[in-house]
Amino acid sequence: MNRTAAVLALLLLVLAPPLVASNQFLLHLGITVLLWTLLGAAWNMLGGFAGQVSFGHATFFGVGAYTTLILYLKAGLAPWYGMVLGGLAAVLVSLPIGLICFRLRGPYFSLSTLAVAEIVRLVALNWEALTNGPVGLLITTLPRVALSGRTINWESKLPFYYIIAVLALGAMLATYWLTRARLGAYLLAIREDEDAAESIGIATVRAKVLTLALSAFFAGLGGGFYGLYYRYVDPDAVFPIALSVEMVFIAVVGGLATVTGPVIGAIFLTSIGETFRERFLVGHLIFYGLFMMLVIRYLPEGIWGGARRAWAGRR
Amino acid sequence: MALLSVTDLTRNFGGLRAVSRFSFEVAPGEILGLIGPNGAGKTTVFNLITGFLPPSGGHITLEGRSVVGLRPHVVTRRGIARTFQVVKPFPKLSVRENVTLAAFSHEASRPRAESLAAQMLERVGLRDRLAVPAADLTLGEQKRLEIARALATRPRLLLLDEPMGGLNPREVDGACALVGQIRADGTTVILVEHVMKAIMRISDRVVVIHHGEKIADGAPGRVVQDPRVIAAYLGTPVA
Repeated sequence: MNRTAAVLALLLLVLAPPLVASNQFLLHLGITVLLWTLLGAAWNMLGGFAGQVSFGHATFFGVGAYTTLILYLKAGLAPWYGMVLGGLAAVLVSLPIGLICFRLRGPYFSLSTLAVAEIVRLVALNWEALTNGPVGLLITTLPRVALSGRTINWESKLPFYYIIAVLALGAMLATYWLTRARLGAYLLAIREDEDAAESIGIATVRAKVLTLALSAFFAGLGGGFYGLYYRYVDPDAVFPIALSVEMVFIAVVGGLATVTGPVIGAIFLTSIGETFRERFLVGHLIFYGLFMMLVIRYLPEGIWGGARRAWAGRR
Repeated sequence: MALLSVTDLTRNFGGLRAVSRFSFEVAPGEILGLIGPNGAGKTTVFNLITGFLPPSGGHITLEGRSVVGLRPHVVTRRGIARTFQVVKPFPKLSVRENVTLAAFSHEASRPRAESLAAQMLERVGLRDRLAVPAADLTLGEQKRLEIARALATRPRLLLLDEPMGGLNPREVDGACALVGQIRADGTTVILVEHVMKAIMRISDRVVVIHHGEKIADGAPGRVVQDPRVIAAYLGTPVA
């Protein structure tokens, strides 16, 4: 069933954009959904599989975004390379964070990630020589790129759609790999009982640090893409707690430790957010919160997890 | 040479000395019973040997090599496996997966790890429960699952922390037979247990710990007649 879902998702990714290409709003919505899919999937690797609830994943997103823009503005490096390097910078940042925070367990770990994210945000806010502080960084033009003879039009949203589609698909493939690999099995054991996992020879800290690095890489790619798409970053845009929390919501609402869950979570939460924002300028977040409560109460395994269970029950 | 040798092992919790200059040895192929009243320090000794707690002092060697300061997973890979007094299965994972994960410690291929897991589960009598989530097993079955999981790491020394606690008499008989079988298959066993009938029946030797100190070490029949052991369990007679 996972394979069918993956094929369907792939078809949708390829077929959908030309149909809506004339509608820039729908294309923007698609890009938003895919960016959140990428971020939800990144968080899910650590939070869903290993059960390590991070409230600080905006750190990796922000580091990716800043790296991409700084490399472009100060070193002239094209943002698509910068995006990958942004992911790698997020990995580098994740290593000390992992080694420090993974000494703590459960809620203490979660709180420490929250604290680290705030520290990083404040550093970005105050290190003006590098980040331009609260003013933020702005790129006005993207470099010219020609693909098989045709110059890519960066004023259209279509190329961005394809870029984020590839990134989101990459994160889903990485998640699929986790469901098959020994590392993924180890993570589930760690989620279930960390002491027992150690007792059967699993290097739990190493497994968690590796997974955090993988998760940070995709979150950093997401940040790099954000910088490329919006051409502007500032600390409150890329390091806020709300961003970290949104990643948690998407993974939880979609279905923890599943390949498809983050897509479902991103589709539901983005569309609900947009719909209610249109109708109710004030207080639209109330509906968002209500929806979260309903899912957690009635579908504790997430929408995808619940659907899969219902499907298995009928057969 | 002793398989495991513990010398002057000490562990303080704040001002409390939970284990105090505790020494003992286990010979290869032996079943050693470790007994003592509640709070005597038995589980602490297990946690110190397996790396879950760092000792405040003393030495622990497995076949002459120190295991002090190693992380628990390294101790396991050196050949010491354990079970827990309060069972710690991976509750949502299947019985087979619980044991397969342990087999991964020396078998990288999933199919081979799974067939190894099935063999171990056969040994503990859970062959027909492979696909069930571990949470759905009875306590007795969960204790056997933990033993299968520990065995799947191919230990030379197995530490069993109250494998018979909370079991009914028939299950206790089964557990005794299982421990005997494990030894026969070449694994040395240290057993912490409160079910005295079982300890007396299957231990070759018994070490008694009280307030963190060793008060007796010898054949089970002799140890239970030791005045200090009787005093530890029942108190000293008022004159």
